[in-house]
Amino acid sequence: MAKVVELENVRREYLVGDQVTVALDDVTVAIESGEFVAIVGPSGSGKSTMMNLIGCLDRPSSGDVRISGSATRELSDNELTALRSKAIGFVFQQFQLLPNTSALENVMAPLLYQGISTKVAKQRATEMLTKLGLAERLNFDRNRLSGGQQQRVAIARALVTSPDIVLADEPTGALDSKTGAQVIELLKELHAEGRTIILITHDLDIAASAPRRIFLRDGLIEKDERGHA
Amino acid sequence: MNLLGTARLALSRIWATKTRSLLTMLGVVIGVAAIVALTSIVDGASQGINKSLATLGTNQLNLTALAPDALTEQDAQALAELEGVAVMFMQSQNEGTIATDTNRVNARLVGVSNQYFEAVKPEIAMGSYLSKNPLAQSARDVVFGADAANDLGLTSDMLGKTVKLNGQDFRLVGVLDDQAGFGTAGRVYVTLESARKIFSQYPYVSAIVVQAETPEGVDALQVAADRLLRERYGLSSDTEARYTITNQASLISAVSSITDTLGLLLTGIAAISLIVGGIGIMNIMLVSVRERTREIGVRRAIGAKQKDVLTQFLIEAVVLSLAGGIVGLILGQIAAFFLAILGDWEFAIRMDTVALALGFSLVVGVLFGVWPARTASKLEPIDALRFE
Ligand SMILES: Nc1ncnc2c1ncn2[C@@H]1O[C@H](COP(=O)(O)OP(=O)(O)O)[C@@H](O)[C@H]1O
Ligand SMILES: [Mg+2]
Repeated sequence: MAKVVELENVRREYLVGDQVTVALDDVTVAIESGEFVAIVGPSGSGKSTMMNLIGCLDRPSSGDVRISGSATRELSDNELTALRSKAIGFVFQQFQLLPNTSALENVMAPLLYQGISTKVAKQRATEMLTKLGLAERLNFDRNRLSGGQQQRVAIARALVTSPDIVLADEPTGALDSKTGAQVIELLKELHAEGRTIILITHDLDIAASAPRRIFLRDGLIEKDERGHA
Repeated sequence: MNLLGTARLALSRIWATKTRSLLTMLGVVIGVAAIVALTSIVDGASQGINKSLATLGTNQLNLTALAPDALTEQDAQALAELEGVAVMFMQSQNEGTIATDTNRVNARLVGVSNQYFEAVKPEIAMGSYLSKNPLAQSARDVVFGADAANDLGLTSDMLGKTVKLNGQDFRLVGVLDDQAGFGTAGRVYVTLESARKIFSQYPYVSAIVVQAETPEGVDALQVAADRLLRERYGLSSDTEARYTITNQASLISAVSSITDTLGLLLTGIAAISLIVGGIGIMNIMLVSVRERTREIGVRRAIGAKQKDVLTQFLIEAVVLSLAGGIVGLILGQIAAFFLAILGDWEFAIRMDTVALALGFSLVVGVLFGVWPARTASKLEPIDALRFE
């Protein structure tokens, strides 16, 4: 299986004033295409930092991050954006649907940024929303959608470009447990279809639904566990 | 994303926040409306002045005495003999009183030689001009300017009746129209010969007017007239004369340069208000970038390039400014229309005003939109996503 994510001796430090915070400290890990991985750890352990690096939103201070074979450290902002647009689909904790924008337009946006025509984008976005059971909600904006519906729109938005990796940062964090469970079920289904899913969570129960779990503590990998717990 | 898609995003955002968008535009609306209205005022005013000046003719020289004894009838006769002179007339004027049986007011009394009415052709409201017949020059006839007639309360049934000038009896033969031309309104016209009897002393005249055969001949005639008078009075070319010679054409160009300057000044003031409008747009756009930091982060995460964000915000600023410009243009033209009615000048939509208004608001949008748009595009996606 091809490695879609490779982190090699990755270090990421933040400089705030003259204070250096080491968010990730010498992390080496690889994730293969088609895996479903949970990245687990307490608050402040470096999960979001890792997600930003994998998501091509950020570059490492040292070491190498390779996403679908491209090392991100040397890429310009434009190249990084292009890689992100092709390889990554994001699902955020707070859904992050665009304001004053319908479900359909939200899902069309990543395609339009790729330069795909409005007509094709509309067709593909409609198909994806229909697949996720939102065919009746195409023209609703976020104010008229429930939390669970918003997260499903966000997942449709993440999937519509057929990315190499779906990155979900605490996707159930803002949902009640029943709706949260439905979202996890959806991610499992997507995994079953062959998609690569990286789920970031501080919740051990949720992490348990992934076949592989990477435990982070203080910027270091504490444990890399496979098989169902 | 292509430009059309980005433009659609910008427009839908403007539409989604209509009230704010309108308020943001307001500065530019006012600036552009002011420019358009002020331009039309200056235009209208100079139109009016030029029309009045045109009644005096562009082929005309006015020689005005700076002292009561500076010019004489003999000077005038000599000037009339100059090469290229078509018409010559003289005027002698003084303050005096005009009266009916019931009313008495001050007015400017003007004695004119017999060529005057035919040369100037002031529009007449009723009656007729003074006769140009040499035998009629001693007649005690009078023609009133429009204001002078009004001041005295003259009515049409007074034609042919007696009015008093400086206490002496004259026969009212005509009243000029209030559109008769520059400076006619407050005056009362009699023959030069009659003037000699009641308010002006022979042989002096207060002004001599010569008209050249062609407008092109005016400048040469001005030089010749000056040389002739200097010869008659034994003045060297660098001594100051006791008369002035003004050339109507140069007067018109002097006036139009004044109205041009005035126009520039007013446009400058309006341009400042447009700049203030632009700063208003910039201010709101900066606030909007801050408010939308998260949204910008999300857009970057789902594939927007810096250029996409820059273009989106820039288009927003330009559309706001241009829309403000269009509304301002319409309001300004409406104002100009009513001002034209009030000021009694012709209303016209000038293409250069339209271009100026739209061009200006476009420039303002780009100029004041660039900074907020750059700020937005330079946000780091991870910081933008973390922004609370
Ligand atoms: N942009 C940043 N600037 C400064 N410090 C940061 C930034 N992002 C994260 N950190 C710090 O890095 C450490 C790891 O943070 P983060 O990756 O957000 O952890 P987690 O997502 O597991 O809670 C924390 O100490 C956090 O304060
Ligand atoms: Mg986090």
